[in-house]
Amino acid sequence: MKVSFQIKLFISLVVFFSVLFALLGRYYYADVGKQLYQEMSTRAKIQAEEIALIPTLRNEVEQKNINAIHDFMQKISAHSDASFIVIGDNKGRHLFHSVFADRVGTTLVGGDNEAVLQGKSTTTIRKGGLGISLRSKAPIFNAAGQVVGIVSVGYLTSYLDTITVSKVVNILIAAVLLLIALFIFSWFFTRSIKKQIFSLEPREIGLLVRQQKAMMESIYEGVIAIDDRRRIEVINQAARKLLGLSQPARELRGQLISKVIDPVPFFDTQTMLAKDTHDEICRFNDLTVIASRVHIMLEGSLQGWVITFRDRNEIDSLSAQLSQVKRYVDNLRIMRHEQLNRMTTLSGLLHMGRYEEAIGYIQAQSEHAQELLDFISSRFSSPTLCGLLLGKAARAREKGVELCFDPACQLDRPFLPLGEQELISIIGNLLDNAIEATQRLPLPHAPVEVLIKLSDQELIIEVADQGVGITPEIRDRIFERGITTKTRGDHGIGLYLIESYVTQAGGAIEVADNTPRGAIFSLFIPATGIARQLEDTDYAT
Amino acid sequence: MQHELIDVLIVEDENELAQLHAELISKHPRLRLVGIASSLAAALAELESKQPQLMLLDNYLPDGKGITLINNPMLARANCSVIFITAASDMDTCSQAIRNGAFDYILKPVSWKRLSQSLERFVQFAEQQRVWKIVDQQNVDSLYQLQAKNYRQDNGSKGIEENTLARVQSLFNDKATHCFSVDEVVSETGLSKTTTRRYLEHCVEAGFLTVEMLYGKIGHPRRMYKRSAV
Repeated sequence: MKVSFQIKLFISLVVFFSVLFALLGRYYYADVGKQLYQEMSTRAKIQAEEIALIPTLRNEVEQKNINAIHDFMQKISAHSDASFIVIGDNKGRHLFHSVFADRVGTTLVGGDNEAVLQGKSTTTIRKGGLGISLRSKAPIFNAAGQVVGIVSVGYLTSYLDTITVSKVVNILIAAVLLLIALFIFSWFFTRSIKKQIFSLEPREIGLLVRQQKAMMESIYEGVIAIDDRRRIEVINQAARKLLGLSQPARELRGQLISKVIDPVPFFDTQTMLAKDTHDEICRFNDLTVIASRVHIMLEGSLQGWVITFRDRNEIDSLSAQLSQVKRYVDNLRIMRHEQLNRMTTLSGLLHMGRYEEAIGYIQAQSEHAQELLDFISSRFSSPTLCGLLLGKAARAREKGVELCFDPACQLDRPFLPLGEQELISIIGNLLDNAIEATQRLPLPHAPVEVLIKLSDQELIIEVADQGVGITPEIRDRIFERGITTKTRGDHGIGLYLIESYVTQAGGAIEVADNTPRGAIFSLFIPATGIARQLEDTDYAT
Repeated sequence: MQHELIDVLIVEDENELAQLHAELISKHPRLRLVGIASSLAAALAELESKQPQLMLLDNYLPDGKGITLINNPMLARANCSVIFITAASDMDTCSQAIRNGAFDYILKPVSWKRLSQSLERFVQFAEQQRVWKIVDQQNVDSLYQLQAKNYRQDNGSKGIEENTLARVQSLFNDKATHCFSVDEVVSETGLSKTTTRRYLEHCVEAGFLTVEMLYGKIGHPRRMYKRSAV
């Protein structure tokens, strides 16, 4: 049978205190008894010695005047709480007994008179005529200094025990009351603990902590929990890896978030209090991430925030893969269509015997593409960029728009201030926008002019189209998220992304009208930005 | 001087086309056809047995893509170069081929002139490799010049014409202290905006002009060009 944590705690508290009380009670009982005996023996001794000093009594004992002694002692014993007072002569015979008057003349019981008869006071526990008693004996001297008698004052042990027991009973009652209070306290105490730990057993709590730890470490996303004063409470392995933090989590705990991540508006107190965010692109320590922030409330008060973030490149590569699949499907369809057209034209030319024209037609098919391929591969060193430009050029051509590369194009070394994915994203978006803007005008379409040039100082990207241009209404807001002129597809994310990448790299964007119409986007990104090194994030291991 | 013949392997599944390629090669005095493979597997077998120095590689083959052969270590072992042939609409693959070290790339439909030029350059390339016993930097450089990536050696002429450049520069000479935006230069010279940008940036790179960013409204800076202080 499983006993719940609450019952276990309750029982052990009660058992512990009961044993404690029992031991304390026993000790106290022994102590009270001992004290009582000591006190009583002192009282008996004082009484005996005082009685022995009374002059009348000394005379009468010396003369063995039994009646006079009896009258006198009767008055004294009436005022004493002693169980008995006995007067004996120097031969050990009773001269007076406060309880049994008929003992007069008989020998004293107990056999402890030797020392007293030699002039010393004694205190002993002996069995006397009344039972076991504590008694004190004092000698009675005559005027000449000789021992003439004995005074014995005694308390029966049964009487003493009665006093002890009555005292202990009082204490026992108090102890029982205390125990009842303890029962009640323990009960409420354990119940309140149980409530605070959500009725969980300690083993379950341990398991939960383990699970939570394993969960935090197993997810790909970086997770940071901070308290209401922006101190780190929890930071998982992925977060440390993404941010390039080498120190262990326990060292980071308690540090201000601004000490660990360079201050960004994302961690501004005002911003954090204002609202939670979801999938916001920002920069944590030179790493572009997509971050979300949620605040935590407990019983109506703010406890802090939980921040999760992912490396943006990961998402980019995923979406790049996706769009590539889409592109393949697209290409296949277009290729088939083109092929049919070409075969028709060719068969027509051959049928009519126009052989020279047929040869010219065939050569023209690849000539332009071959030129473009030769140009692009000689000017750009990144295969990804080459692929992108070739692909965009091919697709633009299918849509009747020509991509015209400026003869000054040159990007023959990696451009470090921007990641390759960011560069691809910027150029791809600019080209898409330009092609679409051109397409919206009736045929024939004017070419889109492209300049991508890396000099010693900066990277220049300029895309000029002669399309519909930018309407004045949205002109000032084109870089805001969600602002778009497109009617389908991703709405208003392209320029927002471009702007955030360029700004983060310390660059500038110039937007101008083209002549006679259309728009020119010119991007200038300094080449002096810091080189970013991202370690391979292999979370699978 | 007696020349050795260069062994060529054709990898092409379209028989008609393969025969045409074979004919082109047999016409060249320095090339010798050693085999025609119509699949990836056959190509690998031929590579192993014939050890050709050049391979004309088609991308789409019955049992896979030709591009996968380019990384094959057997190519490096055989010291075999590749002229890669693929459809024009498959330019991503082409770009990949070049980066993986293809000697050249030809788009389909094949221009025979372009293919002949490519073969000719390879013959020269192989010849020079053989003649130069001691390779110095200059030799290496000229070897690389023969590779496809520098096929169009129009270096130096990056769309810059002396007359136009002079026209642009004179504008800055006349008003040495004035800051020009692209639009102003356009209206003064009558060039197109994109051309103007090319010339201005050329001048910046050459050190003739300097650049200043003029920040107006947020997000819309203007790039201003000014004569460099001499």
